Amino acid sequence: MAKKKAINWFKLNRTLHRDIGYLCIGLTLVFAISGIALNHRGDWNPNYIVERSEKAFAESGKAPDEQLNKALLRLFPHTPPIKASYWQSVNQYKLFFDNGGAITVNFSQKSAVYEHIRERVVFKQFNTLHLNEAKKGWLVFSDIYAGLLIFLALSALFMVKGKYSAWRFKRGWLIIVGGAIPAVYIFM
Amino acid sequence: MKIIKKISLLIVTLIVISPAAFAEEIFFGEAINEKVTVNISTLLANPEQYLDKEITVAGTIVGVCSRRGCWVDIASDAKFEKLRIKVRDGDMVFPIYAKGRQALATGKLTAIELSLEQTKKYKTDLAKRRGETIAPESITAPMSIYQLSPTGVKVLG
Repeated sequence: MAKKKAINWFKLNRTLHRDIGYLCIGLTLVFAISGIALNHRGDWNPNYIVERSEKAFAESGKAPDEQLNKALLRLFPHTPPIKASYWQSVNQYKLFFDNGGAITVNFSQKSAVYEHIRERVVFKQFNTLHLNEAKKGWLVFSDIYAGLLIFLALSALFMVKGKYSAWRFKRGWLIIVGGAIPAVYIFM
Repeated sequence: MKIIKKISLLIVTLIVISPAAFAEEIFFGEAINEKVTVNISTLLANPEQYLDKEITVAGTIVGVCSRRGCWVDIASDAKFEKLRIKVRDGDMVFPIYAKGRQALATGKLTAIELSLEQTKKYKTDLAKRRGETIAPESITAPMSIYQLSPTGVKVLG
C-alpha cells in the first residue's frame, strides 16, 4: 500500500504568496497611484486638467446677450460652438461650450476667464476604479482583490523560518510597528 | 491570468470610451418621470408644497462638483436662480464636462435648515447676485434651502 504524501504547508504557502503577489501587482499599482492622487485632491484636481486664460473685457453687463457672446468669441476666437449661457448674477455671465469649457465674465472686475477642461488620462481611469464608479462589475473584482491582500498579509507571517521569522523579535518588531502606526492615529 | 486580462481590457475600454463620452447622452439611476415636471422657479417660489414628493426638473447644467462629481446645479427658468441636484458621494458621478448641457432629474426635494448666521450670509450673497442690497441685521429668522435628491438623472448630448 502506497504511503500518502503529506502536504508541505510551508512550501504551498510560499508558492501561493508568490503567485497571488504577481496577480496583485497591477491592481496594487492602480489603487496606490490613484490613492496618492486622491489623497491630495485638496491641492489639485485628480481627474481633470483645467486650463484658465484670463483677459480684460470692457463690455457692459447691460448689453444684449448676443452682443456679449460675439464680443467674447472675438476675445477667445478658438473656442468650440456655444452650448448655453447663464446669468449667475447681475455681475456674472457664463457662456458654455460643446467641450465642457466655459467663459465666466465678471463685469465689476471687467474680466473674462476661459476655462478649458481635459480629462487626466490614466489618472481619471484609475480614480474611477478606485472609487468604484464603474459599479457592480468592479465591486466583485475589488472584493476579490481585498481578500487577496488579506491572504498576502497573513501568509507573509509564515514565509520564513528561523531567526528572520515573523515570530522572532529580530524581524517581528516590524509587524508591531506596522500595527502601531495606525493605532497611534486612531487613539491620538 | 483571466482576471489580469479582464482588468487590462476594462482599463483600455475606459481610456478609449472617455473622449467619446463628451458628446453622448448620460443616464444615472432610474428612468425620468416627465409627467411630474415642475419649473424650477415655481418650485423655489413655494418649496414646502413639493417637499418629499416625486418631481422632475429640467434645465441647463451650470455647475458641477469638480472633485467627486457629487452635485450639479441646474439653471432655473428665472434669472439668477438655480437648483442643486445632490447625491451621496459615488452614487452618481456627474462629469465636469456636462456643464452647459441640458439635464432632467427626477427625485425628491429636501430641505436643509440653516442657522441664523448661515441665513444672513445666504441672503446677503443672494441679494448681491441680484444686484440688490440687504442689511444683515434685518434678517432675524433662520431659513431653509432646498435641493433635489435624485433617483434618476439624464444629461442630454
